[in-house]
This record gives sequence, C-alpha cells and structure tokens, in this order.
Amino acid sequence: MTNNFDEKLSESQDSEQAVESSRRNFIFGSVAAAGLTVAPGMMLYQTANARSLSDFSLNEKASSQVRWGMLVDTTKQVDWNKCVDACNKEHGLNNETHSRDDQKTQYIRVVDVKNKTTGYSMSLPVMCQHCESAPCVDVCPTGASMKRADGIVLVDRHRCIGCRYCMMACPYKARSFVHEVLTDQTENTPRGKGCVESCNMCVTRIDNGQLPACVEASEGAIIFGDLNDPQSDISQLLAKHGGKQIRADLKLNPGVHYQGI
Amino acid sequence: MGLHLNLSLHKLPLTIAGLAFLAASSIANAGQSELGPKVTIPETSGEQCVLPAAEMRRRHPDLLKHDRIQTLREGLRAEKDGSPLAGSLKQCVNCHAIKSEDKYVRIDNDEHFCVSCHKYAAVSIDCFQCHRDIPEGSGNFHALTGSKQHYSNQVPGTYSLTIKDVANISPEVNSDDK
Repeated sequence: MTNNFDEKLSESQDSEQAVESSRRNFIFGSVAAAGLTVAPGMMLYQTANARSLSDFSLNEKASSQVRWGMLVDTTKQVDWNKCVDACNKEHGLNNETHSRDDQKTQYIRVVDVKNKTTGYSMSLPVMCQHCESAPCVDVCPTGASMKRADGIVLVDRHRCIGCRYCMMACPYKARSFVHEVLTDQTENTPRGKGCVESCNMCVTRIDNGQLPACVEASEGAIIFGDLNDPQSDISQLLAKHGGKQIRADLKLNPGVHYQGI
Repeated sequence: MGLHLNLSLHKLPLTIAGLAFLAASSIANAGQSELGPKVTIPETSGEQCVLPAAEMRRRHPDLLKHDRIQTLREGLRAEKDGSPLAGSLKQCVNCHAIKSEDKYVRIDNDEHFCVSCHKYAAVSIDCFQCHRDIPEGSGNFHALTGSKQHYSNQVPGTYSLTIKDVANISPEVNSDDK
C-alpha cells in the first residue's frame, strides 16, 4: 500500500533529479547573466534583487546561501528590557518556579558596561551570537548543539543529554540549562527539564516569514537580515557604518554585530 | 509414575467439570466486555488523519521521528503544497486535543488522547516534557485544509508586526565608530 510516508521517501529521490535540473538552469542562467555584464557594465550587481524574509516559505529547507544575522545599534537609546520581555513572551520563558534567579533561563541578557576612568556607561543586549564556527557545536558529544544551513545555532532537544559542555564552551555565556519540570510551554518553543537552550533567533518565526521577536520590539535598534546578500539592509548598513563583533579576537565570526560598542 | 497417573485419572472428571465452568463463565462475560483492561480511543475534531487509522496506530512514531528531523535540523516545516507535515506534533495536538468541561485535557490526565492509549499499552512517552500538550490559540485550522494561511504562528499575545510594517521603520543608523 502506498501512502504519504512512502510518497515522501520517493519524493526525496525526485528532489535529487530536481536539483539536477535546477543546476542546469543555473548554468544557463549564469551564461545569460555573463552576456548582460559585458553589455551594460555594472548592471549584473544591480539586477540581483535583495531577498526579503517573505521570499522564504515554510516548505523550503533552510538554505546555505543565506546567513541570517543581526545588527544591534547600541547608540540608540532603547530600553533593551523591552526586547527581553518580547523574547520571554515569544518563547514562554521565565516560568520556572523553583529555580534560583541565576538558574533561570535567559535568551537575552542586558549587559551594563562602564568605563571607570571616563564614567561613560552603556548597555547592550547579549544573546547567542550564532557563530560561524560555534564552539558549542564543536564540543557537543551527541550532535544536539547544531548549526542550521542558514547559520542559526540551536539545540536539538531530541538529542540533548544535558551534559552542559556547550555552556562551558560558549564564550558569550549565552546558554541556559532547565533545572526543573516545566509545563505550559509555547507551541513554537518546546522546552523542558534536563536540556540546554539558548536564543534560536526565533527560528519558527523566520521560517514563517516573520522577524525575530526582539527585532520587532527593538523599535529599529536591531536590524535583522541576510549577511550573505550584499543588497540587504543589514549588509548595506555594515558596509556603510561598520560594526563590531564581541570578542572578535576569538575568530568565531558571530552573526550578531554591534554598533557603538 | 504409575501412582501419579492413577491419581490424575482419578481427578479427571473434576478437572473437566472445572474447565467447563470456566468456559461457561467467560462466554457469559464476553458480551459485557468486562474482562481485562479497556482502551477507549476518544473522538477527534478532524474527519480523517494523515494515514488510515490502522496505519497510524502502527506508524505514528516513524512519522514523528522523520518529520522532527526535517523540521528542526533542516528547517522544512510544510509540504510542497504548503500544508503542514504529516508528522507535525503540533498538528496532532491541534486535532486530537480532548475537551472536558470546556477546558482542554492536559497530559497528566488519563483522558488525554495520547495518554489514553499509551497508558493501556504501557509505553511511556516523553514528548510532552518539552512539547505543548494542548492547542495554543491557533487550534482553529485543520491538517486537511492544506493552506499556508491557516498555518499561522500568530498566537494571542505575541507581536503581530508584518514584514511590510517593519520595512517602514527606517533602518537609519547613526554610529560614531566608522
């Protein structure tokens, strides 16, 4: 008897053929594009339109041509706690009843820094930095800590055994461990006792064409976009104004960039 | 040996009588189905599941496991036509959630759809240690509708800005570190 499940397995074979044909189209396409470039000079760069979030849909796999990133402008006087609240609401965090405050999960921490000599102080939100070469992924003994094709680092709780090695490895202290039985989780963020968790850049929202919750709550102080696309807002802003990565000396190439730090 | 045989032969009529009594009583009780544990599979809101019921009983763990890898690790959350994946636990819960006195039955209750059968089969599941056990606002759509617009992750209380709204927010950045 054939059914959906078997069809799905055979679809994966079909999709290999689809890849073949799309590769052929790509070759033809690039030949045409090369022709274009010769004639009007710089046109090729401009014809590539910026891809927006809404171009991606639920029925597409995460693509390695995309690298999602965020740009946090700390010079904007934004109450970062609004972002934290939005994050907590989105993921149903802060519902622990027995844990100490330092045990409770936080995806975004607001870090206050002060220069003692000048007295200059500022605060910035620090969440999972979604490193290109993420130490948490390197050290995970079960493959639970993983990086999606589009650069989002997240925990596969189906595989997490709660060893907390990734928490030790993360230089940004971005991960938390759930110490107690949880109930009433949100639909999109399953979370439970014995698993490590961290900011997943609101991966369900992204797959659904929505912006991460903190970006929406930030009143424009956090820009979200595709770092691989030179036409995207985030890439243009980074090209124009520059940006800093926290602990760039570690050469982990985080996807989260900051301005004004 | 001989003595033993004699003894059992002696008791044979009694044994037959006993067996006959047992058989009679079990036939009498069969109509009332009082024997052994029972399982009642609750009725659900949908008309048809992603597979026929018999297949579903046997293969739902495979479906769930197959699609959880696609969803989480590969970022594929819907079929090509936009309908939710067959093994979406969210979809299972949305259709199969049981209401008792106008409130959804939670996982710690024996009437919960998954629990009702799993308790009978003595198979413990840990899905709901992390996953939500009842629908969350967006339980109005059904797996068979097959349209992306029904597959909205909008839930009451979350932010509802759309991509267009955000595009209107000016991404001007005034930065002093050039």
